[in-house]
Amino acid sequence: MLGETAVVGIGETDFYRAGQAPLSEFQLACVAVKRAAEDAGIPLEDIDGYVAYSDRQDPVRLSAALGTKRTTFTAQCWGGGGNGTAHAVSIAAAAVEAGYARHVVAFRSLAQGQFGRFGRARGPLRVTGARAYTSPYGLVTPAQECAMQTRRFMHEYGVSQEALAEISLASYEHAQRNPRAVRYGQPLTREQYHDSRWIVEPFHLFDCCQESDGSAAVVITTAERAADLPSTPAYIKAAAQGMGQRAGATAFTEPEFPTAHYKIVGEELWARSGVGPADIDVAQVYENFTGPVLIGLAEMGFAPPDGIEEFVSDGNIRWPDGGLPMNTSGGNLAEAYIHGFELVTEAVRQIRGESTSQVEDAELSLVISGPGYCPGSSVLFSKDRG
Amino acid sequence: MSRFLPEAWMLPIVDDLNREFFTSGKLLLQQCVDCQTVQHPPEEVCHQCQGMEFVHVESAGRGAVYSFAVMHYPVHAELQSAVPYAVVLVQLDDHPSVRIVGNCLDVPPDEVEIDMPVQVTWETLADAETGEQLRMPQWQAIRR
Repeated sequence: MLGETAVVGIGETDFYRAGQAPLSEFQLACVAVKRAAEDAGIPLEDIDGYVAYSDRQDPVRLSAALGTKRTTFTAQCWGGGGNGTAHAVSIAAAAVEAGYARHVVAFRSLAQGQFGRFGRARGPLRVTGARAYTSPYGLVTPAQECAMQTRRFMHEYGVSQEALAEISLASYEHAQRNPRAVRYGQPLTREQYHDSRWIVEPFHLFDCCQESDGSAAVVITTAERAADLPSTPAYIKAAAQGMGQRAGATAFTEPEFPTAHYKIVGEELWARSGVGPADIDVAQVYENFTGPVLIGLAEMGFAPPDGIEEFVSDGNIRWPDGGLPMNTSGGNLAEAYIHGFELVTEAVRQIRGESTSQVEDAELSLVISGPGYCPGSSVLFSKDRG
Repeated sequence: MSRFLPEAWMLPIVDDLNREFFTSGKLLLQQCVDCQTVQHPPEEVCHQCQGMEFVHVESAGRGAVYSFAVMHYPVHAELQSAVPYAVVLVQLDDHPSVRIVGNCLDVPPDEVEIDMPVQVTWETLADAETGEQLRMPQWQAIRR
């Protein structure tokens, strides 16, 4: 891959608290894709591929609504949820590199207000399959699943509540510089974090992502075509998806529990890119909840698990002075929860020099998709090709 | 015994894969006929050798809390009266690769700890909709 493809356009809707979007989920998708094409300088009708993850917007309906002349590639990533953000980009990049399409959109549209909130039990009070072994005992939602995993990780590696707080405080601090953020103008102190109610121990309210409505999209094409387009390309230096043996064993029986499913992703990403964690200038790490972020960072090799608390402390993940500024738009916690795709657009902005918390001379901009659900995925953008 | 969580809360739908686990009143685990691997939850295919014939092996039902979560926010109206409650993940002594989710019936949520020894106990429930009699494995502390 190594710079053969690039993101050349990004598009977003306004972001809303769940239930407050004035448009339908499908309309939101259309707006984001249209804006991404405009940003890329590509006529909307010339978009010829659609890739998403966990999405409800069928490309058959979408391409009709958007006037697509020739659709030659559609795909959606398997497994989980927000763990697919980077992989959607990766599939799109593979398609344009293979020549299956010329300008592929990767996107996610989510209106939790219209389709049910992720943080609540939905559907009938009878359950089948793997959830039959967990839900009847009152363990239902992603927050509760990630709490189970995070509690064990904290126990094994001596990680304290302060490490979780650092993830939340960084996101809220960065959101105060970002007028797009739902939590703009709502700063968070360490005291407010600790005083906030428990959702599920060890997660306070501010350890949990928002529930939002909105849409985000990117346009991916080859590096050759990118050279003729107006925007600064964010080259795709490398991407990886992965999960270990029996990672998909259900009900917390995977052999490596507690894992975020990022060991293989990290190994592959660093091997394919030829760089390592110490080379990364800025990172967007999907925070459904703060705990899995710590596990994901450790598995990607930023610090050993028993050193991860030290890594995220003392301002190291905060803009502008930290060693690895993280979630510079405010992320899922404080910008908006567009199932993590707003972290992909932010990673591109960092390469373009357009973030509201811009890392100076950012050359390598990393996305770590949803840790805790498998398969994990990651994409590394670079300012320079190759 | 009444149910740990509210009576109207979610129940498993009994099927061919989970019938022994949820109705026998014994901690019956799926074992592959070909390679003898024990796996939980039961699956259609053995993760070790891809065998598709299974028998059941009974666990002694002792273990320790491997992890837990304490629920404060009720994710459904039926759980409003139940919070706060703990959900435990129990690692079995006789099958350490097996972990089972449940509730610790006799320990308050703020006293649940990792490594706490527990033993299986049972909730007998009737699914009024299906007429199915359920025997749901649960846990209680082993007092030393």
